[in-house]
Amino acid sequence: MSNAIIEVNQLRKSFGSNEILKGIDLEIKQGEKVVIIGPSGSGKSTFLRCLNCLEIPTNGTVKVHGDYFIKPGERFNEKHVAALRTEVGMVFQRFNLFPTMTAIENVMAAQIKIRKKSKEAARETAEIYLRKVGLAERMNHYPSQLSGGQQQRVAIARALAMEPKAMLFDEATSGLDPELIGEVLNVVRELAKEGMTMVLVTHEMNFAEEVGDRIIFMDGGVIVEEGPPKEFFHNPKHNRTREFLQKVEH
Amino acid sequence: MNILKNLDFATAFKDLYPELLKAMGTVLGATMFGFALALIIGTLIALGRISKIKWLDWLLVVFLEIIRGTPLVVQLVYMYYVVPLLLSLVVQFWIPDYQINFDAFTAGSVALGINYGAYLSEVIRSSIISVDRGQMEAALALGYTKQQAMWSIVIPQAGRIALPTFGNYIIMMVKDTSLLAFITVYELLLRTQAYASQTFLTIESYTLLALAYLVLSLPMAQVVRVMERRLARHV
Repeated sequence: MSNAIIEVNQLRKSFGSNEILKGIDLEIKQGEKVVIIGPSGSGKSTFLRCLNCLEIPTNGTVKVHGDYFIKPGERFNEKHVAALRTEVGMVFQRFNLFPTMTAIENVMAAQIKIRKKSKEAARETAEIYLRKVGLAERMNHYPSQLSGGQQQRVAIARALAMEPKAMLFDEATSGLDPELIGEVLNVVRELAKEGMTMVLVTHEMNFAEEVGDRIIFMDGGVIVEEGPPKEFFHNPKHNRTREFLQKVEH
Repeated sequence: MNILKNLDFATAFKDLYPELLKAMGTVLGATMFGFALALIIGTLIALGRISKIKWLDWLLVVFLEIIRGTPLVVQLVYMYYVVPLLLSLVVQFWIPDYQINFDAFTAGSVALGINYGAYLSEVIRSSIISVDRGQMEAALALGYTKQQAMWSIVIPQAGRIALPTFGNYIIMMVKDTSLLAFITVYELLLRTQAYASQTFLTIESYTLLALAYLVLSLPMAQVVRVMERRLARHV
């Protein structure tokens, strides 16, 4: 048995007649940090959203920890999909904190409702993770009382509190003012050091190079090129990759 | 000028006060029961229409058009006089000679609930739709099923958005309970009418009646305003 946390096999996704993902294969190992980059419309966000079945693949399979979201030939089973989603945390570009709950309530909610933890146990876990993202002082604030960077850190804590096997970051810093990006990247960097398995879609090339074990360049719904960051950024093989990198590096 | 000289508010108030108080109880009872029912019906209709099940949506739209296209008074009369007859007909297939009767209060509150449920469903539906899609996605990503996410994340937020509007509908319902007089519910209007026609204290009676409604609705309007301000805080 392989030590893959996420296995993607011949993944295809269409919206109507528009095929966004055109057959993607990928294996992500325990503790690996995979960074996906690519121009907008390349399908990278859709791909990431397939990894926790927020988008249901038109074809192909996604396995998490050896378990299919949707077994080949079987129908979408909501309960099973929901249960498997708890193994994959996701952080969104727009934070998506629950606005009617305080920071700590945001982190507690799913632990109680889904993990069936007691309130006390959920609060304890929530405090641990909020402290970890540096928000011990802000636990009882509402999202509207927090800065974007703080909100995103709460969102990270909320995902971590479910103790997932892997984390997905969907342009987690794209919605932030430049001066707030650093505090979120620091948290992600810390997680990376601790060995969390991560898949990141990002526009932060320096960060991608620093944190990633493997960089994947997507364009037109396929993986054009992938490789370790040094090689990828300094010696890209494909023309398309070179063009893209030139454009993003000013 | 004679009329003004002969005004006797003191007597009218003394006689009517206990009557109006009792009637206010009826009005509040019918409103509470009717509005609770309206919320349930409204939420179910809203969820049914959001579900994207075509035949269900179609059925609900037909129902809404019937409710919106007929006057509330007609619905009240229908619920009180016609629905029991129709139900009796159905039940008589199994139990001969069985007669179903609604008392006026029940028929009235249920009809109010259905009528308001139809209107509230649109408020609830648009509130649910206006909750950011990211909220549902965040909940799904955390392992909620769609239904769990809907009930514990989306609907509470939709409720906040809709609450001030609900408040206005409650006030409207309080006033619409006056229509229950048509089906013999002994509420504010009917009690006042009875008194006025016995005593000919017409001006006094109906003025007091209007004041009674204001006593009910003004505090409610105030509560709605406070709610609006409070709920706006964390959205």
